Amino acid sequence: MDFQRLKPHLPWITLLILVAIVGTADDTFLKPANLLNLMGDIVPLFIMALGLTFAIYIGGIDLSAQSMANLITVVATIYLGSLGGWVALLCVAVGAGLGTLSGYITTKLMVPSFISTLATGGIAISLSQYLSGQRALNMDAAQRDAVFGWMIAKTGPVPHELFIAAVLLAIALFVERRTTLGRVLKAVGAGEPAARASGIDVARYKILAFAISGGLAAIAGLIFSVKLSGGAPAIANGFLLPAIVAVLVGGTPLTGGVGGVLNTAIGTMIVAVIRTSMLYFDIEATAQQMVFGLVLIVAIAVTIDRAKLRTVK
Amino acid sequence: MTRLITRQKLIQWAPFLVLVVLMLVFTAINPAFFSLRNFGRIAISSTPALMVAIGVTFIIIMGSIDLSMEGTISVCAVVFGYLFLQWGGTLFSSAWIAIPVTLLLGAFLGLLNGAVHVLLRIPSFMASLAMGFVGTGLAVMMTSGEKIFVKDDAFRSLVTLRYFGFPVMVYLALLALLIAWLIQSYTTLGRNFYAVGGGEELAHASGLNVKRVRITGFVLAGVFYALAALFAVGKIGIAESITGANFMFISITSVVVGGVALWGGTGGVLNSLVGVLIVNVIDNGMVVIGLPDYVQDGILGVLVVTAVVLSTDRRMISVVK
Repeated sequence: MDFQRLKPHLPWITLLILVAIVGTADDTFLKPANLLNLMGDIVPLFIMALGLTFAIYIGGIDLSAQSMANLITVVATIYLGSLGGWVALLCVAVGAGLGTLSGYITTKLMVPSFISTLATGGIAISLSQYLSGQRALNMDAAQRDAVFGWMIAKTGPVPHELFIAAVLLAIALFVERRTTLGRVLKAVGAGEPAARASGIDVARYKILAFAISGGLAAIAGLIFSVKLSGGAPAIANGFLLPAIVAVLVGGTPLTGGVGGVLNTAIGTMIVAVIRTSMLYFDIEATAQQMVFGLVLIVAIAVTIDRAKLRTVK
Repeated sequence: MTRLITRQKLIQWAPFLVLVVLMLVFTAINPAFFSLRNFGRIAISSTPALMVAIGVTFIIIMGSIDLSMEGTISVCAVVFGYLFLQWGGTLFSSAWIAIPVTLLLGAFLGLLNGAVHVLLRIPSFMASLAMGFVGTGLAVMMTSGEKIFVKDDAFRSLVTLRYFGFPVMVYLALLALLIAWLIQSYTTLGRNFYAVGGGEELAHASGLNVKRVRITGFVLAGVFYALAALFAVGKIGIAESITGANFMFISITSVVVGGVALWGGTGGVLNSLVGVLIVNVIDNGMVVIGLPDYVQDGILGVLVVTAVVLSTDRRMISVVK
């Protein structure tokens, strides 16, 4: 069997092998309660990666996701008091709005997405520092429990975050497989000039993809701030690398067009297992970033579709 | 009929005009801005950033991008700190060897970065971003978050010893700028950078070893990042895993705002000097006129988009990713 036919199956095979290795090394790992907790913990990261999938699926990237989540933790903490549950709507609106801005700058002003999203990220950083006064803020505990307590509660052994993740994944999967938007995004990722030539308003759909990425990064930020019961301009730092890794090891290559949100779910689980395995195998926490950086390089090198790159810049 | 002010000319001089206007505005609001003391402050804060900007300029001229600087700087700073203390802790002992070793380390990290990009055929923004993550991770691992204090008076004279109001490191940075300008303007390598950036396929077809030029570019950039690390450590006397933090956004903004087109083939290190000064004048000026410094990131974000938009020749591109 040649490598190209094996390639689409690599993510789940990798996941199974990793789980088997960690499972044999540590027998508490495979206990259902442990697995559920593990997956519950990684939900904010998963949601951010879910959003990033849309940006990467069209062959772009969203480097603002982390700054966006930071900003949203601050927004959620500040406006929870005055808006109550409506603050969730505000958060998603802010995220989708900034995402739209990234998309507009990328498509209409023709600025490459890694620069436009870096710039939007800069604006998000400024905003979060302005709003927070450069301090760490705390949510009113009673109010948090009243409004968002259900998010972090458990039904039996199942953390509710998993339900949120499942619902979002189902919606994203529906968008990807069953809507015009999903088809167009695939067309754009597979070959933008062809998509444009067949009469599709490519710019509009690309802007939508960045808006979705921003909106999901916002939801990730919201859940994260509810979990930590507060917000700060740098609280979600360290999310961007594992989120990109999750998308890529899941099998959505940087060149776009293949893979998708289901792949990202598998990719996120791979990230979670790698993280946990480092604990079990006694690798220092400080080594984590380096490990993920190396995994990222391998993942890109394996998944990228070089036929699409005429010159590699 | 020739027009005196063409679009081309305007774009070429726009960054310089922006710098002059900014300085006039800040001076008008607070005359204290226009003083030797304050210029000294701007020069010091510009020095490490200028080294990073020069390094990434070579890469951008080739039409690639390098996002690995934060990691490279942190690793160089931390290794320099350890070696310097290990080998005597003062410039007057054999500890001075730590300086050339750090520059070599920068070159080596640049080589790795370039090799991952060119040999594995990964687009440079992603290859270098990943290598930057690895670098920062390595620095965190080496230090476990500890700070390394480099208190040697001789080394710190980089910033404490002043001539005509400016510390020694400013003059050293100007020397490095001169060398970079010479490489860019008078060497085959410099011309090759422009050849690759102007049209890679054409350069390849005329017999240029594009891969080697690209990798050499990343090596050269690595050396300038190592210089930035030395200046950054000299500036505050501390080497740590976050020595390189924030340099990515600031340096790329500087280069692009200075008028080096992201598409490659145009601009040069003098543009980057103007860009670095614009960014640092804004930073300093906002404090001088009493605005909070957190506005800076947002303003830089707007500036960089404006600069890219102005420098883009829309007829030439079809697909923007």
